[in-house]
Amino acid sequence: MFCYEIKKVFARTGGKAALLLLALTLVIGCWMAADTYYVNENGDNEYGFTAVRKLRALQKEWSGALDEEKLRLAIEKITAIAATPQAQSQDVRENNIAFGWGQATYGIRKLLNDAFAVDFQTNDYYRAQSLTPDDAKNFYPNRVSLLKEWLADEQGGAYYRYSDAEKAYLIRQYETLATPFYYDYTDGWLRLFDWYPWIAMITVMVLGYLVSGIFAGEYQLRTDAVFFAARYGRDKAVAAKGWAGFTIVTGIYWIMVLLYSAFVLTWYGADGMACPVQATSYGWKCFYHITIGQEYAMEVFGGYVGCLFISGLVMFLSARGRSAVVAVLVPFVIIFLRSFLGQADSRIVGEIMGLWPDLLLQMHETLAYFNLYESGGKVVGAAPVLFVLYGVLTAALVPAIYNAYRK
Amino acid sequence: MELRLTEVTKSFRDVNAVDHVSGTLGNGVYGLLGVNGAGKTTLMRILCTLIKPTAGEVTWDGQDIFSLGGEYRKLLGYLPQEFGCYPDFTVQDYLYYISSIKGLRPVTAKRRTDVLLEQVGLSQVRHKKMKKLSGGMKRRAGIAQAMLNDPRILILDEPTAGLDPKERIRFRNLLSELAQDRIVLLSTHIVSDVEYIAGEIMLMKDGRIVLSGTPEELTAAMPETVWNCTAAPNRIGAYLRDYKVANVRNLRGSAQLRIVSDEAPTPDATADIPTLEDVFLYYFGEKAGEEDVLL
Repeated sequence: MFCYEIKKVFARTGGKAALLLLALTLVIGCWMAADTYYVNENGDNEYGFTAVRKLRALQKEWSGALDEEKLRLAIEKITAIAATPQAQSQDVRENNIAFGWGQATYGIRKLLNDAFAVDFQTNDYYRAQSLTPDDAKNFYPNRVSLLKEWLADEQGGAYYRYSDAEKAYLIRQYETLATPFYYDYTDGWLRLFDWYPWIAMITVMVLGYLVSGIFAGEYQLRTDAVFFAARYGRDKAVAAKGWAGFTIVTGIYWIMVLLYSAFVLTWYGADGMACPVQATSYGWKCFYHITIGQEYAMEVFGGYVGCLFISGLVMFLSARGRSAVVAVLVPFVIIFLRSFLGQADSRIVGEIMGLWPDLLLQMHETLAYFNLYESGGKVVGAAPVLFVLYGVLTAALVPAIYNAYRK
Repeated sequence: MELRLTEVTKSFRDVNAVDHVSGTLGNGVYGLLGVNGAGKTTLMRILCTLIKPTAGEVTWDGQDIFSLGGEYRKLLGYLPQEFGCYPDFTVQDYLYYISSIKGLRPVTAKRRTDVLLEQVGLSQVRHKKMKKLSGGMKRRAGIAQAMLNDPRILILDEPTAGLDPKERIRFRNLLSELAQDRIVLLSTHIVSDVEYIAGEIMLMKDGRIVLSGTPEELTAAMPETVWNCTAAPNRIGAYLRDYKVANVRNLRGSAQLRIVSDEAPTPDATADIPTLEDVFLYYFGEKAGEEDVLL
């Protein structure tokens, strides 16, 4: 039964076309993620795997504890490069040569820009080259003080956005983060995170299409009478449909994610897995105490829970409504609704959108958001809530699908 | 082993699609005869546990079929009126799949599939996709799926719908072959489908069984007489309006009519032995089934 249910999905022309679309998505995702360049000593761009190797070798020179000494050296180097005639020239090629010298410290430069920003929400690319080596000692304290200023700011800050408990939670998270950070070349992970949401979203939309017909198909093909009149038509055969759906979701999702991950990490290298996420400019403000390796785990498992939930919802609606037409739209609605409602100036809408299931498909972004939830005096970030909430809802969908269809 | 219906009623809003139907079905072939909309399909769907009756009950050996659930359905073979299939499955895959949901073990499924494909004449196309089959072939595949579990109760809803006369004869022969030691309930609005193979025929009208019995009993119980008479062609319209005309046969310069009536329609009309067609005409006031069957 189970195998035939899977066969039904992929025997259709639409099923085969969906697989083709997924393969194309994977190829495009890998190609986009692999797109990088290295600026050589002549100011020319180099591309491909050689460029990756050169960049990696340069940045690896700066790996290790990002302590005051290393930051001093980085500031010295950045300011020295900025003072060269090439950096100050009006000629683009000359500027490129100067940029090439700074590629080794590019990651640290972005962190310095964050740490010494005018305020929590702005970023100035040239801030690092205006620092002095003595500023290095303020690198970590500044991270906390900028947050505190932002939380206390009644004008454009977050004073009214968070409760006192939430503010205290954020400050505690910032203050208790172990420093100095371990810094390393992390391009592989960052590039992986860049294109992962795109791949996950297309995958979930295609999965929605594939599983939408598992239950509704019997009605569309008018095979329902024979199906339900069969011995197992109200129990095992229904369960087989559900398991086939979840197996398809699991199989396709992990094939997509693992192939994509394997390609990107092979291309760029998997260095930096043990670094805290805050050791990258993207994760600098993150209040979760996790490493990049843990972030990857949250990203892929979050995506998996998201795919299971959204596909489960599709199956539930198609089983209950006996039609795939509405059900197949569910992934689109879930993915795009936040784009519209997310801008609404309402705290309730904001809190709901902060737990919207599409966030599971883009955990890298979710971890960067300051979405907090308070219950019984305990404050937690959105990420663990999303896992628990949609894990439970997905588990609840399994019997719901079964009961909706067998009736 | 018997299937008993007790005052089975199914209402859709104010309409009783099945209206207090009672009866007992033991081994044998039963023909459920009625015009479209008589309630045949609804009754059959109840017997297949696809819909629950509004009132009354259906029991198998004294136990409610809905309570028996899978235990009852494992005895069941069903060919619905609107028979759909999985277009991208081959005939063999289709039958293997139906075997699996019927609870057949793979070895049994393979054996039964081989036997039935041979029986319904589809062995040569077993690897063809269902969407490539003709309507008649699909119908035969439908009969094969219904027979996979060697059902004790075989329910066939309008199994000859859409079949040409040759296919219909082939189907009748096939059904006679399959009908041993089981209850076969066959619904149709075509008299000839059941005339020769059904041991008992039930005439269904407006949700009720208005008459049942063997073909001989039904024809013997015919309250009116069947007449053969000759009429001028310009009088045919009048006869069609005034009588229940079972058949009109045009001859050179005249027409031969078969009329169901209390009285002789013409002085020279001769009484004839009623057929099941005449019974159908008498009860339903219209011809039984498609034109090509009658003429």
